[in-house]
Amino acid sequence: MNTQTPFIRVSNLNYQYPDGTHALWDINLEIYEGEFIAFIGQNGSGKTTLSKCLNGLFKPTSGDVIVEDLNSKTSSIVQMVRRVGYVFQNPDHQLFNNNCWDEIAYGPRNIQLPEEQVKERVEEAAQVVGLPERYFSEHPFFLSKGLRQRVAIASILALRPKLIIVDEPTTGQDARQSFEIMDFLKDLNENHGHIIVIITHDMPIVAAYARRVVAMGQGRILADGPTAEVFKQTELLAQTFLEPPQITQLAQRVQDLGYDPGTLTVESMVAQHIALRARRDNP
Amino acid sequence: MVHLIEIENYSWQYLNTPQEALKNINLKIEQGSFVGIIGPNGAGKTTLAYSMDGLIPGQYRGLKHGVVKIRGIEVEEYPRGRLQQMVGMVFSDPEAQFTAMTVEDELVFGMENLGMSLPEIRERLEWVTELTELKHLLLKPPYEISGGQKQRVALAAVLAMTPEVLILDEPTSMLDPVSRKRVFEVLQKLKQSQNTVIVIEHSLENLIPLADRMILLADGEIALDAETGEFFQRLDLLLEKGISPPGAMRFFYELTQKNLYHGRLPLTVDEAAALLRGAA
Repeated sequence: MNTQTPFIRVSNLNYQYPDGTHALWDINLEIYEGEFIAFIGQNGSGKTTLSKCLNGLFKPTSGDVIVEDLNSKTSSIVQMVRRVGYVFQNPDHQLFNNNCWDEIAYGPRNIQLPEEQVKERVEEAAQVVGLPERYFSEHPFFLSKGLRQRVAIASILALRPKLIIVDEPTTGQDARQSFEIMDFLKDLNENHGHIIVIITHDMPIVAAYARRVVAMGQGRILADGPTAEVFKQTELLAQTFLEPPQITQLAQRVQDLGYDPGTLTVESMVAQHIALRARRDNP
Repeated sequence: MVHLIEIENYSWQYLNTPQEALKNINLKIEQGSFVGIIGPNGAGKTTLAYSMDGLIPGQYRGLKHGVVKIRGIEVEEYPRGRLQQMVGMVFSDPEAQFTAMTVEDELVFGMENLGMSLPEIRERLEWVTELTELKHLLLKPPYEISGGQKQRVALAAVLAMTPEVLILDEPTSMLDPVSRKRVFEVLQKLKQSQNTVIVIEHSLENLIPLADRMILLADGEIALDAETGEFFQRLDLLLEKGISPPGAMRFFYELTQKNLYHGRLPLTVDEAAALLRGAA
């Protein structure tokens, strides 16, 4: 059990949209310092709604979202976004300024920081995401999708939130670009003290990067635990129409030969294979 | 023999760009084949698709060399609209092609434009909604349905015009795994009925069981073109070009590298599991 104080504590959260759709049912969730979490589940399972409750964009219909010492019900969005940042799936849905500098500066200016602090934060955020200075005066829409996503993340970083939620970071990216973005999020997690939550359908990415998985279905949390443990629950995953990554499926199919059904990566499968062979050859 | 699609020494450079988007492409596609095209973003996949349905050079400005023929006739020779009837394109962003206020109108729009009779439109609508399981959504606005449903509407609208070739440009990139599977189920049915299908796709796990043939584009060139089983035996090349192969295949590739396996790389989990049982 974790004895730390959670960064976020969600208790008995229910959320109903104004049109009456009940999107979240009795959600209980704690998120701690240092975590790298994946929210998985099919479209409409409540992942994005939950994320928007975490950053205070949506207020609970009942129950509570407590971020550090703030209850989202009684806190302003300005207080909340300085703690929890949300990066849209499509960076184009959040980019609206005429150049990258103004885009990244928008948040800090909006919370009325003096201009010299704004400058400091923009420069810091741009450096962390690896956006070269020559792009500062460029219009975001002339950048590649990968760079636009970096600008989108930088604009969130400039508010210095502890927790960053990234919705579908790898959609529409090829393999190399996906790994680049994920390595960048890993760096934010390991070297810059950010808690990372990704929302994704990409199970190999989940297996390679997330240490904890929250699986959602029909507005409820169906499973929550270390990545390997959640991927072992194949029946439950099937209910949510999710499949573990192919390498995990393979390990599960040949579990009787001694492979670990919680295998997450090809590298670990290879190591097991070598160990099993050695045992067979030298009984 | 006349191939359905025949591309010879074809290059294309968009106006005001420093280099060619496609370089010296040679490609023949037979009727009834199911072809997968993969490659990193920016490799020229979409440009190649646009070149096969005449959007290039018709709607874009640039420099063209070489020949692109459909049924033995160069794309420029077709009267406006005729080629697009033969070659149906489904775009990765389904909303980009929506124009109507209901799913039904959306599906009927193309057929009406082709001047089909009412009984024929009815018959095709029946067939296509059955195939893509959209019947219950006919009266809904296309903007109110889920991403997977939108993608199936986009596909159905093109299918209704019964093109001779169907080209899909990343049809499932925005979809969750269930919706993705359902799109591939529709493609499976099309394959069974001998349609010619060309799919540009990043998700290899779904594509591999369907594709007869795979093409790798990299930096505007065809880097590899082979029957699917053979194609994936060249995993070193695919990895070098930034392609991420399915886990089971990569596992056997790693074993080969370590001299622990000699033989063909498996294409699916079933094949991989059988190989491991055989070795035990």
